[in-house]
Amino acid sequence: MPEIDARRLTFKIVYYGPEQGGKTSNLLRLRELLPPERAGEMMALDTRGGSTLLFDLLPFGFRSESGLLVKFRLFSVPGKTAYDATRKAVLARADGVVFVADADRSLEAINRESFRRLADDCAEVGLAFKYLPLVVQFNKCDLPNAVPEAETRARWSAAPWPLVFAAANGGRGVTQTLEALLRSLHRRFDGECALRARHALDEDTFVVRAMGGG
Amino acid sequence: MSEPAFDREWRLVDLLDTAACEKVAAALAQLLGGDLAIIDALGDPVCGSLHPAARREPLVLELEPIGYLGSATAGADALRAARDLLLALLRCQLRCTMAVALHQAAAAGDFVSLAREQTRLAEAEARCAWLSEELDDRVRKQVHELGERQQALYLADKLSSVGQLAAGMAHEINNPLAFVRSNFSTFERYLGQIAQLKTQLANAEVAWPALDLDFVLEDSRDLLHDSAQGLERIARIIGELKEFSNVDRAVEEFSDLNECLHQAAVIVEKQLPFGVAIRFRLLPLPGIICLPGHLKQLFFNVIGNAAQAIRDAGRPGEITLSSEVDGKNIVIRIQDDGVGMTAEQIEHAFEPFYTQRPVGSGIGLGLATARSVVLAHGGRIALDSRLGAGTTVTLFFPLPQ
Ligand SMILES: Nc1nc2c(ncn2[C@@H]2O[C@H](COP(=O)(O)OP(=O)(O)O)[C@@H](O)[C@H]2O)c(=O)[nH]1
Ligand SMILES: [Mg+2]
Repeated sequence: MPEIDARRLTFKIVYYGPEQGGKTSNLLRLRELLPPERAGEMMALDTRGGSTLLFDLLPFGFRSESGLLVKFRLFSVPGKTAYDATRKAVLARADGVVFVADADRSLEAINRESFRRLADDCAEVGLAFKYLPLVVQFNKCDLPNAVPEAETRARWSAAPWPLVFAAANGGRGVTQTLEALLRSLHRRFDGECALRARHALDEDTFVVRAMGGG
Repeated sequence: MSEPAFDREWRLVDLLDTAACEKVAAALAQLLGGDLAIIDALGDPVCGSLHPAARREPLVLELEPIGYLGSATAGADALRAARDLLLALLRCQLRCTMAVALHQAAAAGDFVSLAREQTRLAEAEARCAWLSEELDDRVRKQVHELGERQQALYLADKLSSVGQLAAGMAHEINNPLAFVRSNFSTFERYLGQIAQLKTQLANAEVAWPALDLDFVLEDSRDLLHDSAQGLERIARIIGELKEFSNVDRAVEEFSDLNECLHQAAVIVEKQLPFGVAIRFRLLPLPGIICLPGHLKQLFFNVIGNAAQAIRDAGRPGEITLSSEVDGKNIVIRIQDDGVGMTAEQIEHAFEPFYTQRPVGSGIGLGLATARSVVLAHGGRIALDSRLGAGTTVTLFFPLPQ
């Protein structure tokens, strides 16, 4: 449940997925793709080697006509399985999740394992996985060893979540992924947060404003 | 969840307590050569007072200001430079504050896996050490830009304590975890041995000694007993950590410090060995608004340390508790004639996890906790000790003007 008070509504979005899948890259590109005045400084708690040690945090947001500051805080979890407890603690209280899979064919088992862990972690930190706004991103589609889009779509055809194919490094698919998640967030929380009723934010306006338009 | 969540929106006062804020503001004012105030997001002063005509610069960590830096005399550029310096400091503080809060959440949620995470904690420690280096660097650069030669407006000591806290916790918990784990695997093996008896029940009299079950039973009892103690120890460490991080959440009451001191002393007294006595020299005190729960805990810790110091000296001794009002403060003194401390011990005494006692005999959060409790009361703590002669801890609590 997002935090809401009279002046501010804050959504917590978590980028989750296997180590080295491209979560941090997603946030870094978003920082460049969003209008600079709408995004805050990115905070990375990483090792000197660059792998995420605790989490990354990118804040961004917009102000609605009604004067409400709508804020999104994008976190990424550490990938290594050794950081189980930390990953769960970062995931806790998420309002939406982007699952970043590595499209490399040789990593399919690892993706599956990580996705299963997402479901487990959700249960452990008290998130209802079934109702969680979730988008699945297949990243590194630029690599020759990537599973082709058609094949992945066929395999995930039964899944209810939006699938986005991306090459986060070059920025491809990064904003689409976030947009897709924002749509799910709107659908899930419009009622509770009175987005349309009190703040004149229908789904399209919400997404367009959040992404820096309007 | 009772701990402050790592992903909360941290306020200015969460990142810089009043004492730190005053230190920073004083240094910045000096650099700017004029007046300076720090106010929070709502415009209330955190330190200094804002001149009505003051120029303001927002302090933005994420999107919206968590406070402002204001000055009536400083030029726009100088004030912005000072703001940038303060922001760099706040960012470093934010990282460490979030890292520690996240560690606590992770530890509370799943502390069995802490053993596996020991390396990670070590990394975090290195990280914090690096942070304070980076902070030093930035401060130096900025100070230079401001055209002054002043250093020293940062909390490097605080940052390094954070790393120490993480590493100390891993170290202390790892030990009991390792032997509990090893005990369990031995016990599992024993269960296998006991199970074998089932196949030889008809011949139990022969099978029992052949399987060495007398020994197995006795050793199992020991294993479980030791394991229970190990878990107890871990629980105690977690408890102490909780206490350490609890200082800003408690009920304020109008209380008599003599009473708090007395109640704490009574508890310690019950556990005192023969030959250690407590003497009271309490003068009447005015009541003050305070956090009596924390204060009792604080007194308990310090008196406990005093008792331990006498025990360590291996001779009879006395703990003297005195209180008085000295002008603007209530002064409380806890004095012992125990072993005393070395210069090195004194230097590190207020750092979390600094203890010279063997692993398992308490984790050295006593004085660190004491200090944060006293600071939360706007007071001050002083330590005076001579090796072989004893230690005096003096606590000052300001009286309301
Ligand atoms: N070829 C390619 N490499 C990528 C892509 N996205 C990320 N990478 C690289 O993959 C590595 C891991 O990325 P990172 O964002 O740190 O992954 P994280 O562990 O999920 O945060 C880095 O070396 C990135 O440069 C992509 O779309 N294509
Ligand atoms: Mg990362």
